[in-house]
Amino acid sequence: MRPKIEKYYPLIPVYVAYLVMFLIGRTMPSMWQMVALLAFYCAIGQAFNIFLGMTGYVDFGYVAFMALGTYGMALGITAFYQTGLGIGIIFIGLLLGVVMATLLSLAVGSVALRLRGAYFAIATIGVNEGFRYFVEGAKIWGGSEGMIFSRELKEAFGAEMASQLSTLWADVAVFIIAVVAAFVTIYYMRGKIGYALTALREDEDAAKVMGINVTKYKIIAFITSAAFAGLIGAMAWALKLTYVFPPDVFKIHYTIECIIVVLLGGAGTLLGPVVGGLIYAFSKYWLAVVAPGFQLLIFAPIIIAIIMAFPEGIMGLVKRRAKGTGWEKYII
Amino acid sequence: MALLELENITKRFGGLVAVNDVSLQIEAGELIGIVGPNGSGKTTLYNVISGVYSPEEGRVIFQGKDITNLPPYRRAPLGIGRTFQIPRPFKSASVRENVAIGAMFGTLSGKVSVDESLEIADHYIELVGLQAYKDKAAGTLTPTEKKLMEIARALAMKPKLLLMDEAMAGMHPSDIDNMVKFIKKVGVEENIAIVSMVEHIMRAMVGFAQRIIVMHRGAKLVDAPTAEALSDPKVIDVYLGRPSGD
Ligand SMILES: Nc1ncnc2c1ncn2[C@@H]1O[C@H](COP(=O)(O)OP(=O)(O)OP(=O)(O)O)[C@@H](O)[C@H]1O
Ligand SMILES: [Mg+2]
Repeated sequence: MRPKIEKYYPLIPVYVAYLVMFLIGRTMPSMWQMVALLAFYCAIGQAFNIFLGMTGYVDFGYVAFMALGTYGMALGITAFYQTGLGIGIIFIGLLLGVVMATLLSLAVGSVALRLRGAYFAIATIGVNEGFRYFVEGAKIWGGSEGMIFSRELKEAFGAEMASQLSTLWADVAVFIIAVVAAFVTIYYMRGKIGYALTALREDEDAAKVMGINVTKYKIIAFITSAAFAGLIGAMAWALKLTYVFPPDVFKIHYTIECIIVVLLGGAGTLLGPVVGGLIYAFSKYWLAVVAPGFQLLIFAPIIIAIIMAFPEGIMGLVKRRAKGTGWEKYII
Repeated sequence: MALLELENITKRFGGLVAVNDVSLQIEAGELIGIVGPNGSGKTTLYNVISGVYSPEEGRVIFQGKDITNLPPYRRAPLGIGRTFQIPRPFKSASVRENVAIGAMFGTLSGKVSVDESLEIADHYIELVGLQAYKDKAAGTLTPTEKKLMEIARALAMKPKLLLMDEAMAGMHPSDIDNMVKFIKKVGVEENIAIVSMVEHIMRAMVGFAQRIIVMHRGAKLVDAPTAEALSDPKVIDVYLGRPSGD
């Protein structure tokens, strides 16, 4: 059925962007680190957009899910590195990361998502800090010292493969996660979930009266978004850096970056997180070169100005412009 | 068995009694007009029926089932649809998507697919005459168009009871006449009990309602067949601003 396929056309520009990035990185080894950084911001934008963009709720504790993904991978590797499972331990780590992130999101979501927007946002601020102090205070998972597992990785895979995992495959995985997250986003958008989320984002009370179980749909978006955060943490942080240090992973800074990427690109659009991720990561990279140490000082007002000028984000604006033109079916 | 039964409903906001000990019954397919001055509790009564508020006292019974404590999203699929006094479209979504949302989530089976919902939406959009605006964002419609869209959205839910909160306020008198005819026709054809406010337009009310409920200061003042209600001296008093009883 042609119209069915057509619903997924907006994936084309997203995937073209990822493909171009990937090919540039692979053909020019000196570019790989930068491309990986770009992919990281696109991926977290894509993941966070599923919640922030589609529901309109802001989760200030989002980075906690990335942190749990990181710990999941760390625990998987340290617990299983001697079992001879080979690459299997990476999958165990991923699975642990996703499960831990998902469980936390379920716990937080089923309580906090009953609250309205601003109250929810406030409630989530505590989650990240709370979890960090819990890890440090209860001295679990290495407590405030964190976990280092480069030795375990080397033992399980050999020095060369371990280094490849960190410098190449972890980044490739981030690309794959971004690709899958984009697919899930449009799959949701085109299905009942997307309609329910649009309705509740616009008017929660009216949505309820139309028969929508708003809490259920908010939780679906929240968990999905958290699961992707877990995957990203497991790959982009744990496997890439081969250590976890609580102050580094439970860092609200990353939540803010997620929010910026999504709002800049256009909340609730498919291409927005890619555009936002690229612009944000590029400027961050570039500012670090031309004005090291002053990135944030320069960045903050620019970002605020852009978001004020384009409240629907860049893609929100483009989407509106594309309406009624031939581009319409490629852009959401 | 009545379609809807309210038993001694009282709803308070702090010290204010918005609905005061109201009991009423609505039969399947009945066309009812509800009138009453500003603040007399009409919208609050709708909110209690659709589940936006739970009453402090009394019971709401729908098709024999006590739904007093059921959340709104579980009442809608039973067959309770409504429009809002101040239209509440899902602004960024198109008219078609808005109406489809009604079809998708507002029916009991819950198994209406997205594509089916969009088809159902097309049908009701045409019925209310909004086909030219189908793909427009609902937020860009005029207030009257928004009201029409809300009617289509509620009808797409296949309600057994449709509560229309001033659906025709602000419309041109000739449009109101058409609207009343249309609503009446749909109600009869699809066997929907409709409670509508046709405020200030008695002529329209007479053409529509088989029964009239008059609200006054949260209480049900009159509940009688249309002709009888309109000649009731209490109703005349309310409209002349000389409320009886005090
Ligand atoms: N959410 C609320 N909080 C506090 N008071 C409320 C609330 N909703 C309604 N009221 C009050 O309850 C009373 C009944 O209001 P309601 O809106 O039901 O009247 P109405 O008959 O629909 O009036 P109108 O014709 O103006 O729409 C009013 O005094 C109103 O101020
Ligand atoms: Mg009212």
